Amino acid sequence: MVGAGVDVGSTQTKAILLNDELQIVGRALINTGANVTRAAERAFQEALAGAGIARDRVGYIVGTGYGRYKVTFGDTQITEISCHARGASLIFPNTRTVIDIGGQDAKGIRVGEDGDVKDFVMNDKCAAGTGRFLANAAEVLGLTLDEIGELSLGATNPVRVSTVCTVFVESDVMVYMAQDKNVEDILAGLHSAIAARTVSLVRRIGIQDEVSFTGGVSRNLGMVRALEEKLGTRINVSPESHYMGAIGAAVFAVERAAKVAA
Amino acid sequence: MITMAVEEIVSKCRKLVEDPAYSAVREWKSSHPGAKAVGCFPVYSPVELIHAAGMLPAAVIGGGNQIEIVHADARFQSFVCSVVKSTMELGLTGQVDCFDGMVFHSICDPARNLAAVFKRNFANQMVQYLHFPQNLDSPTALPFLIDEYNRFKAYLTELAGRKISDDDLRVSISAYNRTRSLVRELYAIRAEKPHLASATECYALAVAGTRIPPQEHEALLRAALAAIENRDAKPKDRIKVIVEGSFCEQPPIDLIRAVEEAGCYIVDDDFLLGWRWFVGDVPEVGDPVEALARSYIDRSVYSSVKHDVREAKAGHLVERARALGVDAVICLSAKFCEPALFDYALYKRALKIAEIPHVSLEFEEKMWTFDNIQSQVETFVESMLFD
Repeated sequence: MVGAGVDVGSTQTKAILLNDELQIVGRALINTGANVTRAAERAFQEALAGAGIARDRVGYIVGTGYGRYKVTFGDTQITEISCHARGASLIFPNTRTVIDIGGQDAKGIRVGEDGDVKDFVMNDKCAAGTGRFLANAAEVLGLTLDEIGELSLGATNPVRVSTVCTVFVESDVMVYMAQDKNVEDILAGLHSAIAARTVSLVRRIGIQDEVSFTGGVSRNLGMVRALEEKLGTRINVSPESHYMGAIGAAVFAVERAAKVAA
Repeated sequence: MITMAVEEIVSKCRKLVEDPAYSAVREWKSSHPGAKAVGCFPVYSPVELIHAAGMLPAAVIGGGNQIEIVHADARFQSFVCSVVKSTMELGLTGQVDCFDGMVFHSICDPARNLAAVFKRNFANQMVQYLHFPQNLDSPTALPFLIDEYNRFKAYLTELAGRKISDDDLRVSISAYNRTRSLVRELYAIRAEKPHLASATECYALAVAGTRIPPQEHEALLRAALAAIENRDAKPKDRIKVIVEGSFCEQPPIDLIRAVEEAGCYIVDDDFLLGWRWFVGDVPEVGDPVEALARSYIDRSVYSSVKHDVREAKAGHLVERARALGVDAVICLSAKFCEPALFDYALYKRALKIAEIPHVSLEFEEKMWTFDNIQSQVETFVESMLFD
């Protein structure tokens, strides 16, 4: 028996298949595009095809993410906060705080030993301190998102960034470039500003070890280091960070299927 | 007795409430030539005094999500609650020119300053500011408030061009006692059988009373209550919550619905608390001004805008939560609302000690999409149902 999680995000849709030992046996990642339901179906089918698993072996399907109500072939929908918490807990069983930074949102989740959500906090109305901030800054510097993390680690004298506004950062970066600051120092300053903002946000729900970092921005090594520096503790990062929501959804799916079968 | 379905009555109420131009007040004035109306900013207004002068009191609580703010921004700092700006906007765009007077109250700094800014901008409207006593355990609190009400009464007399007799006032107290009692009945039904009347519907029914005379509100409420009793509805699998913190700037009605649809039965709330300020009836015998003042001091609900050292606000919240057997408390505050947000610190600690799950969320009156807040409430509901 297999449980499936389908995470429909605003830009990408991810599907994960877990067996009843909670091991990943299939996955898919596609662009969401305009038709959300079709994207969910396609991701699910691709995961099945890639794993060579027949549809009737799937006992339960959970939809999550922004488009969770459009996963019409699913059995239920669960919010991404609950799924990220569960997913991070599976990958890092000792985690008690999850920091999730995506393209336009930032969340802090306090989790219990069973991966249940104890408390959470989100940014709203403002994309300060999210991936978009770094993306905009990278563009002004003529760099790609993949480069900026590593580059920031080579700083010797990080600049101090006055704004976390995702739009205003562009002019701040231009000012520093005009002052001939080197790219590494500017990048380190930017990463530090985001880390400070994130830690401020997550402090509202209390930070407990172990801390795990998920979401697209967790693939940025510069951000990982900046957060560790602000928190004064090591943080967990998984190569599965993109799939964390889908993994959590699939965990719920496996649990529900077992309950139904019982 | 009006016989209409609940949905029809609620729809009528909603239209009344979501009207920044105050058509209902204008219609009332044109059908009562010479009569006047007074706009009441949150939280609590002694509306009986206004009514006793033959005038119509109506709530002025900003423009909700029905107006754009394009003029008022220039009069206020950026980081202030929206209701202060939108109320000013209503003034600057002529929407509240149907009011011959406006009354504000000592609830917080932004509101206090709004009163002054309003007064400077609209010289043709009587603008009054009521000071409520802050030390309710002082022996001077009652005489102070009686004096303040008498001062207000003198202004109302001048505005209305007629005296306010004690009997006039007793009749008005009685009228509002009746509507408040019916609203309490509505809330009681909802608390016991929330599937019969949603918080969204109760909201529309209660708040309609802030736009029309109490007699009309009474008729609407009686019709609604009768229809609700006969309603055929099944309970759904939802958690029961109290929503606390929205006593001044009001959430859009659709936000209340979004919270309910996220999996909650809102069995109690403090929406528009000022028009439901008393825990029982105001006495209709004896000196009516004193009865109103005493009721403010001794018979009123706890609130973030009422400083009362005799009682712990957080204790009341916990008591209510336990009495209603709720699963959780949602602290829903307007952005920048200092009274609500500062009190959250007290509530959070008390709720944690009492082991009552709770979450803090912020809203703005100017919201049109509710996905974000709905997701957060859903997550909260999930965290409770998954145990």
